[in-house]
Amino acid sequence: MSAEATAQVPRLRSLRADLHIHTALSPCASEQMTPPAIVQAALMKGVDVIAICDHNTAGNVGAVQKAAESAGGELTVLPGMEITSEEEVHVVGLFADLRTAENVADRLRALLPAADPGYYAFFGEQPLLAADGRETGRETATLAAAVPLDLNDIVGLIHDHGGLAIAAHVDRRSFSVCSQLGFFPEDAGFDAIEVSRHTDAASSRMEEFSSLGLPVVGSSDGHFLEEVGTGTTVIRALEPTFAELSLALAGVDGRSVTRA
Amino acid sequence: MELHELARLLDLSPLTPTLDQHDAESGQGDGAVDITRGYASDLLSDVLANAPAGGVLVTLQVHLNVIAVASHAGLRAVIFSCGRAPEDDVIEKAAEEGLSLFMSSADTFEIVGRLYELGLRGSTA
Repeated sequence: MSAEATAQVPRLRSLRADLHIHTALSPCASEQMTPPAIVQAALMKGVDVIAICDHNTAGNVGAVQKAAESAGGELTVLPGMEITSEEEVHVVGLFADLRTAENVADRLRALLPAADPGYYAFFGEQPLLAADGRETGRETATLAAAVPLDLNDIVGLIHDHGGLAIAAHVDRRSFSVCSQLGFFPEDAGFDAIEVSRHTDAASSRMEEFSSLGLPVVGSSDGHFLEEVGTGTTVIRALEPTFAELSLALAGVDGRSVTRA
Repeated sequence: MELHELARLLDLSPLTPTLDQHDAESGQGDGAVDITRGYASDLLSDVLANAPAGGVLVTLQVHLNVIAVASHAGLRAVIFSCGRAPEDDVIEKAAEEGLSLFMSSADTFEIVGRLYELGLRGSTA
C-alpha cells in the first residue's frame, strides 16, 4: 500500500442524532414513550442515532436497544442517563455500553430514597419495559430526586466510567448549569453543552454558549413521542458508535458535531 | 446592623477570618460593615439578577460559583444554612474576594426570620 493511500482521510458520514430522549420510566414522561414507539418515532424523523437518558437510571436502555435491533438495526441507541446533581443541575452522561451505564445507575440508585405513595401520586409510576413495550416491573427509587453528589462528583463519576458528560439544556431556566450556578463553571470538565430546541439558532444566546469553547449539541430532551427528533445534532463521523461520537466531540481528524 | 454583631446574635460559625481579627491586622474598619439588606435563594442566576448590593445572602448552595456570583452582585457576606459546609477552595476564594462566609445549623427560613427581626429587609421592601 502506498503512503498516499494510508494517509487518505477516511470517509466521514453525516449522522443525525438526538442524544437526549426519555422513556416512560422517567417521572413526567408520557406513558407512550415505550421502546418500540420511540424507535418508530426516531426512524420516521430520519434520525440515525439516539441516546436514552432517563432521570438517574438506565433501566430501559437495553429494551430500546433491542427494539431498535428488531426494527431492522438502522437506528443506533446509545446508553445514557440524565443525572440530577446536588445543586439540581441536570447532567447527561453517555456511555460506551449498556453494562457500564447500568453500573453507574446502580451507584446512583443506592443513593436515592425509596418512593412513597405521595411520590407516585405526583410523579406517576416508573415502569420498566421490555423491547416490545410490555411492562416487566416498576422502579421504586425516587428518580425525580437529586442525587447527593455535587456537580464535580457527577462529572467525575461519568468520566471514571469512560463516559461523556454533557451539560443538559443550558438555555433552560430550571435544572441547568446556568440557572443553578449563575455562571458556567469552565473547569467543570464537561465534554459538551446541550442547547434545547427552545433556543433558536439565531438567538443572541447562542454566541454566549459558543464562547464557552465546548462543542454544542442539540437534543430534544423528549418526554413525549411527538418531541422525538425535534432537537438534533449532525455528527460527522465514520460510523454511529459511542467511540466515533467521542472523537467527533473532540474534533479528531475532521470529525465534528453541529447543532442542527 | 454590623456584620459581626449579626454573626454573634445568630450564633453563626465564621468560615473566613473574622472581621475583628481582620481589623487588628489591617487596622481598617471593616468590622463596621453595616448590613441592612438580605436575600435568600439557591438559584444563583436569581441571586445574580436580584440580590441587593451590600447585603447578605442566605443559601444552601455551596458550589464555588456562589463566591463569583456574590462578588459580582456586590454582596458582603454569605450564610450557608442547614449546616452545609463548602469546600476549602470556596473559602479561600471568598477570602480573596473580601467576602465573609458563615455557616449555621439552622435552616434558611429560621435564619431569614432572625435577620428580619433584627431589622434587615429584602430587595423589594
